[in-house]
Amino acid sequence: MQYKSIKKEEWDNTLENLLLSYAIFAGIPNDASQDYEELRAVDIPKIIYNKPKPATSLKSFFLPVKENVTSENVVKERIIIGIPNCDIEALSILDEIYLDEDFPDINYRERRNNTILISTDCIGIQEHCHCLTYDIMPFSTNTADLAVIFLNGTMILRIITGKGEGFLSTVFPAAIALEDEDILSVIEKEHHATETLLSSANKGLPDYKKTGNLVSGANADMWKRHSARCVSCGACTTICPTCTCFLLIDKPGFEKVKQMDACQYPGFERVAGGGDGLFELPNRFRNRYMCKYVWKPGKFRSTACTGCGRCIEACIGKINKNEIFMELAK
Amino acid sequence: MVNGRNIYKPIMASLTDVIDESPLIKTFVLVPENGFSFKTGQFIELSVDGIGEAPFTPSSSPLITEKLEVTVMKTGYVTECMHKLKPGVFMGIRGPFGRGYPIESFYGKEVLILGGGCGLAPIRSLLYALEGIKDKLIKVTLCYGSKTPADCIYKPLFDRLNKTEKFEAFRTVDKADEGWDGSVGVVTTLLNRIKYDITKSIAVVCGPPIMMKFGTIRLLEMGYKDEQIYLSMEKNMSCGLGKCGHCMMGEFFVCKDGPVFTYNELKNTPDIWK
Repeated sequence: MQYKSIKKEEWDNTLENLLLSYAIFAGIPNDASQDYEELRAVDIPKIIYNKPKPATSLKSFFLPVKENVTSENVVKERIIIGIPNCDIEALSILDEIYLDEDFPDINYRERRNNTILISTDCIGIQEHCHCLTYDIMPFSTNTADLAVIFLNGTMILRIITGKGEGFLSTVFPAAIALEDEDILSVIEKEHHATETLLSSANKGLPDYKKTGNLVSGANADMWKRHSARCVSCGACTTICPTCTCFLLIDKPGFEKVKQMDACQYPGFERVAGGGDGLFELPNRFRNRYMCKYVWKPGKFRSTACTGCGRCIEACIGKINKNEIFMELAK
Repeated sequence: MVNGRNIYKPIMASLTDVIDESPLIKTFVLVPENGFSFKTGQFIELSVDGIGEAPFTPSSSPLITEKLEVTVMKTGYVTECMHKLKPGVFMGIRGPFGRGYPIESFYGKEVLILGGGCGLAPIRSLLYALEGIKDKLIKVTLCYGSKTPADCIYKPLFDRLNKTEKFEAFRTVDKADEGWDGSVGVVTTLLNRIKYDITKSIAVVCGPPIMMKFGTIRLLEMGYKDEQIYLSMEKNMSCGLGKCGHCMMGEFFVCKDGPVFTYNELKNTPDIWK
């Protein structure tokens, strides 16, 4: 892949100029960790590079919590910086669902078209990161437009798409081709070190396919036991970068508001006649795992869990899906 | 679907007539803007302005495009509001959605239809479609069950079918009343009185989940193969687009991959009758 480099000072100055024509979002530190925030000029030096990961996922940029889908939604040109690859890979399944040939969602498509995605390579891991277990690398080579690595005062940019290449040559004309083998080898070493950390932290955790087999073979007692601590708050699905379920709410004038929903909420599958296949908590709890590891893999090309670990962090019942999978794998 | 069209936006349809079918069931006659075509077994999302929308399979002939009939049982909030509507208002329609009955694959076959309750609505549309291709079919038999004689909808349909070449129709009720001298018992009891060459037959089952379950079991016992049984599934089909997730049944979005499936496609999916 082609790399270019630019001095950090120049990168920061250009971002400041870009604020005039783009809405720019980036991972910014907060009291707890970091999250995607809309940038002001004073935030530019605070942007976090190389480090996983914003507390919330990328999906709300493309699937707002609530939107009127019958009116025209104009989206300003946007740049999002510092996206870890778990979030980038999650866009693949969102694209499959929302840009399918039969029923493309024009609001989603507008947002995708109007956004430049600048990923960042993860150097190091967070407690629950497990992307590599599901064959997702901690750095982007697909779907993002560019990937950025901050090394020794220099921003190094990997060019991934034609859109990224065009953007880079237009707004960063000073970026120069990087062919220094030493720097490229440092990047490769950092990738390797992160992969080693991920492998070691997730030793024994079954891979994506094996997880699917374990989940579909798990017995009712197992689901009952592990769901006992679930309060059906939906935090896991809300924070998940690949969960996309929603409700359509009717408003006067035949307008429709689309609001994110969660299969973990009671009544998700209820029909007017009273039938509800997910009425029982263990069934609802199981549904999320079956959806991510068994059903969606049978239906879509893209992965329905990218191993970001946010659902583990968000769970107020301290349910750790990876501990469940390790138990099943015993 | 044309690129650029807003998939969430309904088209307007004028409600021109409301027909009382039974104490809880009404048929809404709608004239959509610019016509509307569908394949039998496909469904639409029908909305009441500002109230909500719900999925229904049209009960009218797929050969008619200038108007559409939708038969609705008063079951929940949206259908209660629908039942209060009077001719003259506009309703919203999105669709048609999903995969209907593959009637071309019924050519040269005997078609056995097992219906229950409000499941007769989509079946009526299928019957109209089959009447249009009756030259290519061996015969069509409808076995229909309702809770009581009063709950039976489209009563004139049965006489008409029995007078139509290659068609026959049987009725049963779970509970008889004074005026009823027909069959009493669940719909599968009607299967004892019909003669079928199963090797040349396909079966269609449409009705409440419990009836679909026992109807399918009975057909399998009779010797029908999994791929000879067509089921019209009912789930919470909210968006109709294979996106909102509410109707997911195993690997399938019922709204997009169905609502018509063969039993062969569904037999390994858990909880299909819930």
